[in-house]
Amino acid sequence: MALLDMRAVRGGYGDADILHGVSITVGEREIVVIVGPNGAGKSTAMKAVFGLLKVRGGSIVFDGEDITAWAPDRIVQRGICYVPQVDNVFREMTVHENFEMGAFLRRGDLSAAFDRVYGLFPDLKAKRKNLAGDLSGGQRQMVAMGRALMLDPKLLLLDEPTAGLSPKYMEQIFQITRDVRDAGVSILLVEQHAKQALAFCDRGYVLATGANRHEGTGQALLADREVAEMFLGG
Amino acid sequence: MSFMDFLNFHLVPGIVLGSVYAVGAIGITLVFGILRFAHFAHGDMATLGAFIALALVTAGLTPWTALPIAMAAVAVVAIGVDKLFYDYLKVRPKIMTVMASLGVALMLRAVVQVVFGVDPRTYATGIVRPDDYFGLLLRDRELYTLAAVVLIVVGLTLFLRHSRWGKAMRAMSDNPDLARLSGVDNRKVTMLTWAIVGALCAASGFMLGINNELHSMMGWQVLLPMFAAAILGGVGRVEGAVLGGLIVGIAEELSIFILPAQYKAATAFVLLLLILLVRPRGLLNGKVL
Repeated sequence: MALLDMRAVRGGYGDADILHGVSITVGEREIVVIVGPNGAGKSTAMKAVFGLLKVRGGSIVFDGEDITAWAPDRIVQRGICYVPQVDNVFREMTVHENFEMGAFLRRGDLSAAFDRVYGLFPDLKAKRKNLAGDLSGGQRQMVAMGRALMLDPKLLLLDEPTAGLSPKYMEQIFQITRDVRDAGVSILLVEQHAKQALAFCDRGYVLATGANRHEGTGQALLADREVAEMFLGG
Repeated sequence: MSFMDFLNFHLVPGIVLGSVYAVGAIGITLVFGILRFAHFAHGDMATLGAFIALALVTAGLTPWTALPIAMAAVAVVAIGVDKLFYDYLKVRPKIMTVMASLGVALMLRAVVQVVFGVDPRTYATGIVRPDDYFGLLLRDRELYTLAAVVLIVVGLTLFLRHSRWGKAMRAMSDNPDLARLSGVDNRKVTMLTWAIVGALCAASGFMLGINNELHSMMGWQVLLPMFAAAILGGVGRVEGAVLGGLIVGIAEELSIFILPAQYKAATAFVLLLLILLVRPRGLLNGKVL
């Protein structure tokens, strides 16, 4: 059974629906990417999982439990962490304090969690006392992911983690995403860079106007002529 | 005028006044940073604290033992005011809370005037002669004031830097959405902030009273210099509020060299205008409001 099973979800932020029936599944240790044109509802679909949306139809089942109408703090405790696209670090706090805030809900010894995060992001170990706001864009993104990983989630939601980053950092973030997956965390991410993202993910979904359009393995979607014409610029 | 005279009659009073402003400005900057509005009842909360301490002194306590009790009392009042008024307006535009705080200021002042009257009062009567420390003239109350301010600033800084809830307060000030995503309970942080702010109000009011006299308008009159100090240092920055407080206090005492003494109170206003023109984020790069 899939770790996350989102079925025919409808909903929006206000009264109008943005999602008109989106279905996405994420398996254990799987990287799943959502791509699609602007306004397709990619980020919205992800926010629906995290309880940031009014869901008016369909269901979201995580790890065998229906979490459809849950509040974000309860979802966090259940094992899903979310990294927003912008403003995703505490700029005036140090790297280490950012990680501590990520583990705010967790009591007791955090040294294992710190070891894991610094193991994934060795570059940040030397910068642990730097303010997150002073880091480069790529490193800030690592801090944001590290903060979310401190609670040891089963599923990590990444909203456009490579937005505004140089190709070099984009490659690095993808590599880290793989490392995180190899550490046992499933990942659902939204990507603007469709080609690169489909090339590196396990499976992908193409959304358009708030509904599923295509799905399949990354390679299959890349090879699909219609997908290529619609979203990948030929 | 000799250097020692300058020190004793201008700089030391400036530093004492500045430290009192600093304690008030820290509270203002915390409310600004974490709850994101200008709290106009700050001065009158200080007045209330000063008079609660007076009631305790009248009942037989010494002023410096009355201080912590007054701080705790005003902390409770501040939490109550938040629950009764500001919390209710939380979903409205912030300007409504700002205006409500003006109303709270008037209410608190009216309570003080009804209970304690409108005449000036003092904690202790009689003239205290200053002690001579190698030519530096200091009164005990001035020494205690400075020591108390250092204690408060160091304690608060340690709390914000190292404790779990201190970090939660900073996180809430830094990025409220992300703080909530991390599981920080907004209501608890708000309550904690008001407890600290109320205690700081009482401390500043008490120190103002012990170095001068108490009257029902005392807090309102220091509201402008305290806001000037908070903005001068950089909104949301505790160390900035301390720096700003000292600068405003010293500037007020030194202003008599270039301005008639009646214009002392205008100094803070001039400093506020200057910093907003030249460096609106304040000396230590605070938030833009």
